[in-house]
Amino acid sequence: MSQSVSPAQVRVAGRAAVPAAPRRRRRSRLHVAAAVAYLATFVIALPLLWIVLLSFESNSAILSHPFSITRLSLANYRMALSTLDLLLMYRNTFILALGSVPLGILISFMASYALSRMFFRWRRLQKALRYFFLAGLAVPVYILLFPVYRLDVEFGVYGTYLSLILPYIAVSISFNMLLFTGFLADFPAELEQAAIVDGCSLFTLCARVVLPLMRPVVATLLIFNTIYVWNEFPFAVTLINKASLTTVSLGISQFQGVWNVDYGAMMASTVLVLIPQLIVYAIFQRQIVAGMTAGAVKG
Amino acid sequence: MRALSKKWQLVIMIGPAAIFYLSYLMLPVALSVYYSFTNYSGLGSPGSAGVSNYRQLAHDPLFWSSLRNTGIILGIALVVLLPCAFLLAVLLSQQIRGAGAMRALIFAPAIVAPILVGLIWVFILDPKIGLINAVLGAVGLPQPEWIGGTTLTPYAVGFVFVWEQIGFMLTIFYAGLRLLDREVLEASALDSRNRWQELRHVVIPMLQESFGIVTLLIITGVLRIFELVYELTGGGPVHLSDVLVTYMYYLTFTLQQYGYGMALAVVICVLGVGGSILYLQLGRRRRREPVR
Repeated sequence: MSQSVSPAQVRVAGRAAVPAAPRRRRRSRLHVAAAVAYLATFVIALPLLWIVLLSFESNSAILSHPFSITRLSLANYRMALSTLDLLLMYRNTFILALGSVPLGILISFMASYALSRMFFRWRRLQKALRYFFLAGLAVPVYILLFPVYRLDVEFGVYGTYLSLILPYIAVSISFNMLLFTGFLADFPAELEQAAIVDGCSLFTLCARVVLPLMRPVVATLLIFNTIYVWNEFPFAVTLINKASLTTVSLGISQFQGVWNVDYGAMMASTVLVLIPQLIVYAIFQRQIVAGMTAGAVKG
Repeated sequence: MRALSKKWQLVIMIGPAAIFYLSYLMLPVALSVYYSFTNYSGLGSPGSAGVSNYRQLAHDPLFWSSLRNTGIILGIALVVLLPCAFLLAVLLSQQIRGAGAMRALIFAPAIVAPILVGLIWVFILDPKIGLINAVLGAVGLPQPEWIGGTTLTPYAVGFVFVWEQIGFMLTIFYAGLRLLDREVLEASALDSRNRWQELRHVVIPMLQESFGIVTLLIITGVLRIFELVYELTGGGPVHLSDVLVTYMYYLTFTLQQYGYGMALAVVICVLGVGGSILYLQLGRRRRREPVR
């Protein structure tokens, strides 16, 4: 040990036991750390700030001298709002989320409950089924695009909301079940027993006893799945065949075609869909970060 | 519980999920594999093509260039994203004013739709209207074609991927750092000569699990990049900037060579699963070696 203070002493005496010189060094190191962190954060935020700034400039200013911030106007926004049907995009995306997320969570919960709490004559089958449902985590959506298109046509749902709702539900099941089975494994068996002794049916047991206690998981999955559907693009671009079904993501992908070289209006459109999303994020930031990273972060 | 686990009850509980899962996930996977052995072009019934699609893929220069581009992005993600996310997590776990707000801000790109991320970066990287070249031009430096040229696009996409993912990866490291044993850290702070040594010999070994998760997410995430390339270049010029997924999309939905496209889709899936398994195996072997 190079220093005279042992870790044990430090623990007893707290910070005070650290000699003055290291403490000073520590503080100056914190200043450096803070400076680096501020700089990194600024660099990461810069692209967002940049398009917000440019969205107020005229098209010619963007091309000739983008750094002049003297003549800012709302003209781009007027142009964007009068051309884009933002309301339609939002409505469609909302309908898709409403049609797929709750149902996906509900059926995932039911299957998870059966596979982690209920009694199987063959234990092996129960375990195998659990793995079978989790296997979907390894499937990238891109391998599904063409077959799902064929199935949609076959089932006669192509050209309707269902053409997207059905695959959105299917791809959500594995992740939903990963979280549900994880939490159900620790569910107190005494509570279940008590409910059964009281004469609860399977439905009452799930609806009145188990699901209420799963509320944190349900909230996490609501956030995670809603963000997924909101941002989803590959299925939308493959399966949507008419303008009246355009989602937010699909609408954004058409900006470059719609605006061509009207960069000002393009940036205003970008900001118009970006800002609501960032506002929602700012309000529910803690829950969203927890929900998004739920699969990767334990504890 | 046994009384409530009659066969019909189990069927009702598992049935709905099973129907969706089988019909819209497992069946499509099986169909893709099946189509990949046919020359299906949308009309009539698919004729058997054996492994000819896969053989054709091996001789397709655009397949190799899209594989190379994907590899470049993976390389950038491993060399830039992984260490930067870790170091930022270490920085932001210090007692810095506003660390929480900064973490939230850095995470923000992860919740923005990937297609919007692509569009935002068009305004930064575009050779004509982009911010970077405007700055370079203002100070009289050459203005390279970050996107749309023949060489730089995959690198540019790699850095956009870093931007998009860094907050997410940072959060995983941050969660890992918070779980570290305070006492061990304080002891090592006095023990090791400097901060770098402490990071290398104490913190990083203790965060092995976080590093593993982040690496796996990078491998699978890079193989899922689609929107960024779609928005930044559309694969152009002449598909030289395509990554595996955008090239597959072009083959399948633009050229309507469904059999060929699905063969590539199967290859991408195998690369993802295989890469993850390989990495897990390597990690297991390394962990078995004694830690010095």
